[in-house]
Amino acid sequence: MKMGDHDDRQIRDALKHAFPPVNSELARDLWPDVLRRLDARSVGIPWYDWALVGLSAVVFLAFPRLVLLFAYHL
Amino acid sequence: MDLLRRFALGEIDAFETLVRQFQGDIYAWIVRIVRDRGTAEDLTAETLWRIYRARHQFRPDGNFGAWARRIATNLALDHLRRNRPEQSLEREPAAPPEPDRLVKRETREKIQQAFCRLPAKLRVAATLALVEEVPYDEIARALGITAGALKVRVFRAIRILRKRLSEAGIRPE
Repeated sequence: MKMGDHDDRQIRDALKHAFPPVNSELARDLWPDVLRRLDARSVGIPWYDWALVGLSAVVFLAFPRLVLLFAYHL
Repeated sequence: MDLLRRFALGEIDAFETLVRQFQGDIYAWIVRIVRDRGTAEDLTAETLWRIYRARHQFRPDGNFGAWARRIATNLALDHLRRNRPEQSLEREPAAPPEPDRLVKRETREKIQQAFCRLPAKLRVAATLALVEEVPYDEIARALGITAGALKVRVFRAIRILRKRLSEAGIRPE
């Protein structure tokens, strides 16, 4: 699997020539962007969790004995 | 309580301190992979957000920088997978139309195109190892693979690239 150092160097040189160095200095503070993302994507409880809670409440109100059965299986 | 422990508990002030401390390093790492400043800024902000979201998974006695770099690398890799190669190339200002320069420019563009057509995971490995000359163990850690697996990826990238350049009639000098 080992390849010639010469070939390896040729490809490496060609790539370095094709991709000049990029400026890796960060030009601005990204904290405001991060804060915006935190605000926009704050983790809430999804609607289907609320629907499940509501459905469970209705079932337990209609059939109170199910609470004991449910508690037994917990 | 130390900074990392406070961060893991979700204290926003601790997170802000870490962002200010590490944003430059994360950006520098990502921009070397995606090679576009705007994209790198966006991916850095996304990385930082994901870091905060995953704070419960972070062990406060661990290495925050290495953990952050791993998340950043995965995100950059996903970006390369999702986007067309041409979009992540930073264009240079147009050169004067001298014949010799035109030929060199054309060759350079063909090399760029061949390189950008590589599978994303080979491209990341080759960019960091061959273009940026980052030490192999450092890249392997960021990719979550062994140094041996990384060498295989770089080798495969070189082999594919050599074949494609040869098909395009380009022989690297």
